[in-house]
Amino acid sequence: MPVQNYETLNNNTDVTSTKTLLHEVIPLTGTIVSGTYGAETSEENIKNYSHGMFQSVYDYPYLSSSANHIFDITMGYDESSAFSGSGNTQNSKKINIYNQFSQVLLGYTGSENTVEIFESDLNFADNDRQMKSCYFINFSRLLTKDQIKKGSFSITLSTGSWTQDIKAGAFPNGPMITLSDASASATGGTNNKGVAGEYGVLYRYNGTTENTYGNGEAGGDGLIFYQAGIAVITSSLWDNFLNQPNDIMPLNNFYRRHADGFSQSVSASFTGSTISASCDALRHRIGNISYNNTTEINSTIYFCRTPYNKYNYSSNPTYTDGSKIRVKSVATDTPIAYITTVGLYNSNNELLATAKLSEPLRKDNTSEITLRVRLDY
Amino acid sequence: MAFLDNSGDIILDAVLTDLGRKRMAQGNFKITKFAFGDDEIQYTLFNKNHPSGSAYYDLEILQTPVFEAFTATNANINYGLMSYTRDDLLYLPAINTNELITDTSLFVAAGVYYIAANVETANKISATGATGGAKYVVRSGAINGRAIIFESGLDTTEIAGTATNQKSYITAMNLYDGTFKVYYDNRFITNLVVPTSRSTFSNSSTDGSDETSLSMEESSASPSTTNTMDNYSVQTVAAIQNQVYYYATTIADTTVSAIKGPRGTACALNFTALSELCNTKDSSPNALYSLYGSTGIIGTTVFGGGSDTNTYDYIDTTVYVVGGTSTNQIQLPIRIIRLNTEA
Repeated sequence: MPVQNYETLNNNTDVTSTKTLLHEVIPLTGTIVSGTYGAETSEENIKNYSHGMFQSVYDYPYLSSSANHIFDITMGYDESSAFSGSGNTQNSKKINIYNQFSQVLLGYTGSENTVEIFESDLNFADNDRQMKSCYFINFSRLLTKDQIKKGSFSITLSTGSWTQDIKAGAFPNGPMITLSDASASATGGTNNKGVAGEYGVLYRYNGTTENTYGNGEAGGDGLIFYQAGIAVITSSLWDNFLNQPNDIMPLNNFYRRHADGFSQSVSASFTGSTISASCDALRHRIGNISYNNTTEINSTIYFCRTPYNKYNYSSNPTYTDGSKIRVKSVATDTPIAYITTVGLYNSNNELLATAKLSEPLRKDNTSEITLRVRLDY
Repeated sequence: MAFLDNSGDIILDAVLTDLGRKRMAQGNFKITKFAFGDDEIQYTLFNKNHPSGSAYYDLEILQTPVFEAFTATNANINYGLMSYTRDDLLYLPAINTNELITDTSLFVAAGVYYIAANVETANKISATGATGGAKYVVRSGAINGRAIIFESGLDTTEIAGTATNQKSYITAMNLYDGTFKVYYDNRFITNLVVPTSRSTFSNSSTDGSDETSLSMEESSASPSTTNTMDNYSVQTVAAIQNQVYYYATTIADTTVSAIKGPRGTACALNFTALSELCNTKDSSPNALYSLYGSTGIIGTTVFGGGSDTNTYDYIDTTVYVVGGTSTNQIQLPIRIIRLNTEA
């Protein structure tokens, strides 16, 4: 039955709105990405498609309803890349993938509306440090929520050969390097001129200093698009890595075909292997991925103010015994009621939202109560 | 020195109801008012005789576990908290049904009020006596038959139901239900039969005998739909001043009135069922009977006994009556019944 006693909310004094940013740590361990749910190339949490244009990674065998989609991997190159060639495996699809990401994330340039080229710095218009062949990691909205928190993203990748254990250690004693956007923050270190929001540069990072063991250049090895939730990593990370110790340089063992042990360098993989096979190669090299997501919560707070002389009685059927109020012995006793629920209504008396108290709240004519009811959007 | 209690403000997280989500999708989500509910509370647990003192009176009530919010709009606040201007109210009106006006009251049979869909059904039920006789059934839309009578007043023996007390405890306290809101399922009921302004509800000041005179008519008020309950319409019905008073006579006022103390108002209702539900046994029962009720049920089963071997179709529904001022309410279980086959 509809409630009969309402109190009007004054829009000027009883209603306010706030915005809150919530962050969650998202740690993705490499063991989920490869190795836990079956042998390489046949993992049950990896979904490949007949179109062969990308690969989806789940946190559990994807045929299970318990599985959550965590990210997709794909790769591609620009038509002007040295890798591009009509004889390549899936050449047009790799070009199309690159163009799709570029046009969505960066946009077009010039009078002929050619797509921009990714660059490993914060200025994609100056045509230096171009990344013409890249891996793309698209994080699920389930994890990313509204955006990746700036300065929180890191990915640890193996630069060693396919067969080296990704736990063999960090550079320079092992093949693992970390790319991070640690120099980005909410107040700087990002570019917002792309068409898909802001992005930061992924630099090699040893935990305290950028470029500590990079090639000395100011540019990084990839980009992270915060709102889109997409990481772009250049393929040159695996074949242009100067100062790499000789014993772990993997030029000819970036990808190994499981069936016969055939191995390829990263350039050979980009040109001669399928997208899915190249994705397998990258996935096998992921040590950890970590970032903080961001959920933007817009709240409206309704101040439900109850003066001392309101809501001291109840229409609850147990409130009276016959007609006599149970909580009173004589007429001069204090009328008492107990609040368990707050209902928010529109002008047609339609109940639009409800809030519950954790325990009954006593209301009588000696107290005024203000309940702050928050509605999050 | 102890800290001051700073728990005056309480922050609650609200959840949208299904109707709230619908209004948001429609773009007309705007909250303008609030109300409080106490559906979980059992006030019978308030122990005014607790041996440890007044601080313990509501100990059990305050320990009541509270449910999470429901998203169904009609499952959240069924009984709201009330605001009355006076703090010295000791009694609140109750609404009681009245089966004491022997030639006018519709009597409840096996927990339901029988509304016959047509004349042949009313005659058959009255004749077979399966429900106990004619006083247990009224024809849909009939203005000359019986009606469900109910009264609003203070149901207590502590205050005599005199005219003076009516003024003191009802009128002066602003507890006079001059109208009643009647909520009914508009899939089965299309209109109400209500008392005319000529109706009276009274007893004799000389001997206390019943002098009630009910004159009924089909309501001319326009029903409005209510979004608080799916498929329900609401009509506001004018009440009759309850002039059954306590006199020091041989016939007690409680032989006429179902309220023991000072009375406020009374009212009577019959219902007009959807015309498609009212065809005779020569026609097939409307699909609503099989969809929402039962068809072809033998009388002994329908009425829970007796020897009626006719078969009937029926739909059960609930009508809610809410006092216009007191907001007290009662639920009337209604059975719309139709003769299916004659034995």
